[in-house]
Amino acid sequence: MSFRLRRSVTAYLMLLPTLVLIGVFVVYPIVDSFIISFYKWDMLSANKPFVGLQNYVYIFEDPLFHTALKNTVLYVVFFVPIVLALGLLTAVLLNAKIRLLPLFRTAFFIPYVTSLAATGIVWQWIFNDQFGLLNYFLERAGLHPQDWLNDPRWTLFNIITIGVWQNLGYVAVIFLAGLQNISREYYEAADVDGATPWQKFARITLPLLSPTTYFLLILTTIEAFKVFLQIYVLYGETAGPNNSGMTLLYYMFTKGFGDYRMGYACASAYVLFLIVFVFTLAQMALSRRVHYEA
Amino acid sequence: MKKVWVYLVLILLSLFVLGPFLWMLSTSVKPDAEVLSAIPHLFPEHWAFDNYAKAWASAPFARYFWNSFFVSALETVFDLTFGAMAAYAFARMEFFGKNVLFVALLATMMVPGEVLLIPNYITISTLNWLNTYPGLIVPWLVSVFTIFLMRQFFLGLPREVFEAAELDGCGPLRTLFGIIMPISKPIWITSALIKFVGAWNAFLWVLIIANSSDYYTLPVGLINFSSDVGTVYNQLMAAATFSVLPLIVLFLFGQRYFIEGIARSGIK
Repeated sequence: MSFRLRRSVTAYLMLLPTLVLIGVFVVYPIVDSFIISFYKWDMLSANKPFVGLQNYVYIFEDPLFHTALKNTVLYVVFFVPIVLALGLLTAVLLNAKIRLLPLFRTAFFIPYVTSLAATGIVWQWIFNDQFGLLNYFLERAGLHPQDWLNDPRWTLFNIITIGVWQNLGYVAVIFLAGLQNISREYYEAADVDGATPWQKFARITLPLLSPTTYFLLILTTIEAFKVFLQIYVLYGETAGPNNSGMTLLYYMFTKGFGDYRMGYACASAYVLFLIVFVFTLAQMALSRRVHYEA
Repeated sequence: MKKVWVYLVLILLSLFVLGPFLWMLSTSVKPDAEVLSAIPHLFPEHWAFDNYAKAWASAPFARYFWNSFFVSALETVFDLTFGAMAAYAFARMEFFGKNVLFVALLATMMVPGEVLLIPNYITISTLNWLNTYPGLIVPWLVSVFTIFLMRQFFLGLPREVFEAAELDGCGPLRTLFGIIMPISKPIWITSALIKFVGAWNAFLWVLIIANSSDYYTLPVGLINFSSDVGTVYNQLMAAATFSVLPLIVLFLFGQRYFIEGIARSGIK
């Protein structure tokens, strides 16, 4: 055996566990999911007829899928700007040479490391229509209490609130790292020229922070398209009153593990995949174009 | 003067973030009568610590804790071991197809894990691993993110370290685990924390694979408990509190590594 071949063999032995596991549990399912999306199958029976594009046609004509698509897009459209704006605000404040920075940073990060299964139950209690904290504060402020969990108009508000609450610290920490990467010299030069704080923020901070902002924009968008857990925890297996919490992933979950319609489930999974893929491509294109020396 | 505003807004934001935790703690020590009071108080008039004992006894929480710990620990140990081996190959060895393979691995990170859910469920079911530890654990034994983090770190180590080990006649495994890993502590602590937290909080996979309380981890066990007891909120909050406690403690001790690892993912 030649030296080069032997080195290759040793390297592949080092990679063996990774290649086997990724092959079986990532690469194979990507292909298999695509194949299943062209079959009618209940996962149990041997009868598995090929139906071509029918599963895709079905979901695109299914009103429930339309609801899922609409709710998911609405969630993304509200969640992403809100969490980015609040995260940036938090990061700018944390970057203002304050005392107790580590303490604040820790506090903001705690929701991100705790399970939504646990904290979602707390939110369910806060949103409780009779004894919940939120209605108590509303009444104290002279406003009408709301039936947060049973009124479909509030579903989106509830899940966005929980989403923002959980991810705020994560977004802020990444923004903070981006802010700390901007050289002090720019601000010192601006001070010499007598710039106002707002001018410094708009002309120095925002442009120089844009690589971080784009990274977070794409990342939070991709995560937002997969919204599921807070709905499951708040509403159990119902996707909210009148399906007001039906999202793409919830639809896939319902079709797959509720109705055992694997074809529909895999077709909707691939629609979700396609959306995420487009945003990933956008990220790669943007990260090449948006680049400042900081 | 301006600093006052900074602190004021930060405290308001902190209240939003920590408020639910305070409310969880507060409710968890209230007697039944005070939970449903018209005017909520932060501190109870009569402390009811027995909510914790009652909640603990009403579901097999000891079992859930053990399952969570066992599953997360095993996934973390294997992820570090296999991840380090792969990272070592990519960082320090020459082999056929190296670049193509690395790019292909990174590309798999783009695929949302949810797309893999159904085929993986079928695979686990074919292997007869539904409702077993292997079913919960085996699909998650390696993560590309760990390989990526470790490879970057290994590339930054001085070449002499590797060459000295190889001159002494060490094979790649001995070089890696005897010499490289001990000096790569920051990166494997970071990787381990991120993996452990992710495994501990995993929900959807456990929900579909485990169908008896013998194999529930804490998050799924807790949701199950919640639908059983309904609106007994003081016990629910007690259960939520002891469920999140281990991770909060872990995070408080390891946050330097954890936050740096997260922050690094945002900067190329």
